[in-house]
Amino acid sequence: MYKALIIGGSAGSFQVITRILSSLPANFPLPVLLSLHRLKHVRSGFVEALSIKSAIPVVEPFDKDQIKPGKAYLAPANYHMFIELGNKIALSTEPPVNHSRPSIDLSFVTAAQVYREKLIGIILSGANKDGAYGLKKVSDYGGVTIVQDPMECQVKTMTESALKITKVDHVMKTDQIIRFLQNIKQ
Amino acid sequence: MTRYEIGIVETRNVIKTLLDTYSYDFRDFALTSFKRRLEDVIMKNGLRDSEGLIGRLLNNKDFFEHFLKDITPETTEMFRDPSLWRSLREEIIPAIVKSSSKLKIWVAAFDSGEEIYSLCILLKEMDLLDKFEVFASTISDEVTKKIKSGRLDIKQLEVNEANYERSNGTKRYTDYHTTANSSGTIIIDTSLVDNVKFVKQDTLFSNAPSGMRLVLFRNQLIYFNQLLQDKTLNAVHGSMVPGGYLALGAKETLENTNSSNKFTVVNDAEKIYKKKVG
Repeated sequence: MYKALIIGGSAGSFQVITRILSSLPANFPLPVLLSLHRLKHVRSGFVEALSIKSAIPVVEPFDKDQIKPGKAYLAPANYHMFIELGNKIALSTEPPVNHSRPSIDLSFVTAAQVYREKLIGIILSGANKDGAYGLKKVSDYGGVTIVQDPMECQVKTMTESALKITKVDHVMKTDQIIRFLQNIKQ
Repeated sequence: MTRYEIGIVETRNVIKTLLDTYSYDFRDFALTSFKRRLEDVIMKNGLRDSEGLIGRLLNNKDFFEHFLKDITPETTEMFRDPSLWRSLREEIIPAIVKSSSKLKIWVAAFDSGEEIYSLCILLKEMDLLDKFEVFASTISDEVTKKIKSGRLDIKQLEVNEANYERSNGTKRYTDYHTTANSSGTIIIDTSLVDNVKFVKQDTLFSNAPSGMRLVLFRNQLIYFNQLLQDKTLNAVHGSMVPGGYLALGAKETLENTNSSNKFTVVNDAEKIYKKKVG
């Protein structure tokens, strides 16, 4: 019933993302889109680090790569990552949004336009308001919205900004997010 | 907070106007980013909607030239991907110079100036600026004018400076530009591009220059769908001599196109290819 999962956060959510990726079943039925703030001039290392413990393959996609279930796609350094019609990744070097490239907002908005009510959007801890508008669009298109419990976040700006403008479906701690995702059946 | 959005049908209507009125074909641009830039143009010009934009585009050549400038994504960084520039400096350009006396480079992307100035700084530091013929694609006279004015946004100064240093530049980045004026603009040394040949091109890169030893075609394919990727790569391939080098963006690959068997990979991390012989 769902078609994709999209997660936004900053490099500071690395441990939470690692826990989520390591807890997914190997046959997780959805593609996982990861739009995370990261150092723009460091191209390698991040995807390798995420791959170590992940239960599903994690890749930094090339432009126009086909999106497949059971695979995680990490937005490459210094590119925006859009979801294009036809279920493809489209990359962009357009100016940063909210001082960020990749911009979480742009990934979320374009994913919401493609997957509509069949999208799950999760915002994790982070240091600016990027992602808040994107999560609102996920909600507007009828998708499921989840925000990590700010009590659990070292930096609360991103989660609190998201909660401020959207009546989200769930505020969850990491353990609850994991259980929610493990229960997704196709 | 809420951003103005247009739909796919409206986007197609604008594209049809551009084709019918000016014979510029945007039908095979990647839809998501093109739609987004149309929204930016509509907001920037205080227009109400796509109909308003179509109204302005009809019978207004000056507005159309501005539109072409605005619809083309800016390059945003000097020496983007410093490791690519190091590879050009240390391996690719020395190899070209060694093998040939006809030295031609084409910046085959609708660049806002950063790529061209980066290349010319590199050539100058290698004492090759007057030995290479540099061609640069431009979609609009407005863009050419802006590039020749050398005006760069101060916001990018730190990034540009860091990139230049990581590219192993032999001088200081500040040697190439003025200090910021009151409006936050710096002027880069425009004599760098005095001999660059700007070639006006449409979205298919028709009338490509010929005999290229190196083509920088970085972060352009990402704005096209696969059909236009194939067409423009054909034009680029046709412009190159056998053994010529092609550089794509770090996250672009020939593997998703039908040109993959016409090139060999020289540097996979930097996406540098070599045109096959025959």
